[in-house]
Amino acid sequence: MPDRADDDPAGWLGPAALAYADTLYNFARYLSGNATDADDLVQETYARALRAAGQFERGSNLKAWLFRILRNTWISLARRRRGNPTVGGLDTVVPDVEPEPTWFCDDIELDRLRKLVAAEIEQAVMALSEDARTVILLDLEGFTETDVASVLGCPVGTVKSRLSRARQALRRLLRDYAP
Amino acid sequence: MDCQTARGVLLDDQRGRLDPATAAALQAHLEGCVGCTRMEMAERLLTEQLERQLPQHGASLALKRRLAAQWPAPAGTHSPAARVPARRAWWGLAAAVAAAALIVTALSFMAPGRGEGDRMVGEAVNDHLRILARADRLEVPSGNMHQVRPWLTGQLDFAPAIPFAGDADFPLRGGTVEYFLDRRAAVAVYGHGLHVITLIVARADGLPWPASGPVVKRAQGFNVRLWRSGELGYALVSDLDAGELAQLAARLGG
Repeated sequence: MPDRADDDPAGWLGPAALAYADTLYNFARYLSGNATDADDLVQETYARALRAAGQFERGSNLKAWLFRILRNTWISLARRRRGNPTVGGLDTVVPDVEPEPTWFCDDIELDRLRKLVAAEIEQAVMALSEDARTVILLDLEGFTETDVASVLGCPVGTVKSRLSRARQALRRLLRDYAP
Repeated sequence: MDCQTARGVLLDDQRGRLDPATAAALQAHLEGCVGCTRMEMAERLLTEQLERQLPQHGASLALKRRLAAQWPAPAGTHSPAARVPARRAWWGLAAAVAAAALIVTALSFMAPGRGEGDRMVGEAVNDHLRILARADRLEVPSGNMHQVRPWLTGQLDFAPAIPFAGDADFPLRGGTVEYFLDRRAAVAVYGHGLHVITLIVARADGLPWPASGPVVKRAQGFNVRLWRSGELGYALVSDLDAGELAQLAARLGG
């Protein structure tokens, strides 16, 4: 028999959801690129999560659920600001990377990778297209490809190819930071 | 396995997600292919650099307070609660009392020697940072607990009980020995995605380990979970959030 708190999803979901504030904020910061928007984004995410608490299935992946809400919130905000629902997206903005060079990896590239500093990596991550950055960050969060697919609302196969292309793009950007 | 297939599964291999047969086929390919070996190294370096160096931004205290103020929903937002306000109020009061009792219990861990308790948390984080700095150079870089535990026992004056040998979610990465304040301690290192989790097991005597139930503290951006089991004290440290850390702790009996 469920305990009495079970009929109030917001009650039991709250403490568990708040435990993800830091990691959600980090994601929001890299999506938006600044602290003010990240603050607003996280606050709006929690407001939406609270309203939708009754739809969350207990026992399913709360972290992925919150990340999905945050990303959808970000997309809504971005569309509103840009007034253009098609802006952004790895598939539409990618020609920054051609797959061919990644088949070649020399000692110079490995040496550069070893000597990178934090600012260079952050700059390169922020220079990625929004979808590439998103998939890199979700992978870094430890999400499985299935989790990422659930956050992005796309098939697992798409996640795999997006992640591969995003990492190629990142490596190519990092190659430009000569020591 | 050809180069295209190999490169398609490099990341899966580094995440420990390949079945043994595919992993073995990949290793066989890598041993004979310089290009793919370099690619494997590049992917590994990229992951390591992202994990170690990409700045992590935490939510400000002000934002956390605002978020906490949002939860739970105001009375009346949910109709079931509105229908039984008096009963819910009593349950709310009971929950508040229970929460307060939990906080008092947690604080009692620090009460006899707050400085000592804080020192334990700080030392656990320092040990974790030393493990991160070592990267893959653990003294026993093995996912096999049957190799790690005997080696640890041979280095210590006690038998470290580590009741979890790792699984797909939290694979064991290896073990080593570190100092925990004034004593040598066994260290087991687990992974979770790209995160590293350090388990420290030390003799409990003479230190204020939590008397009843685990205590979770946050320091320097890491979550630290401390508990005692018999004559041993346990500290679990990671940048994982407290909920995920609790999942591993449950496997460890803490």
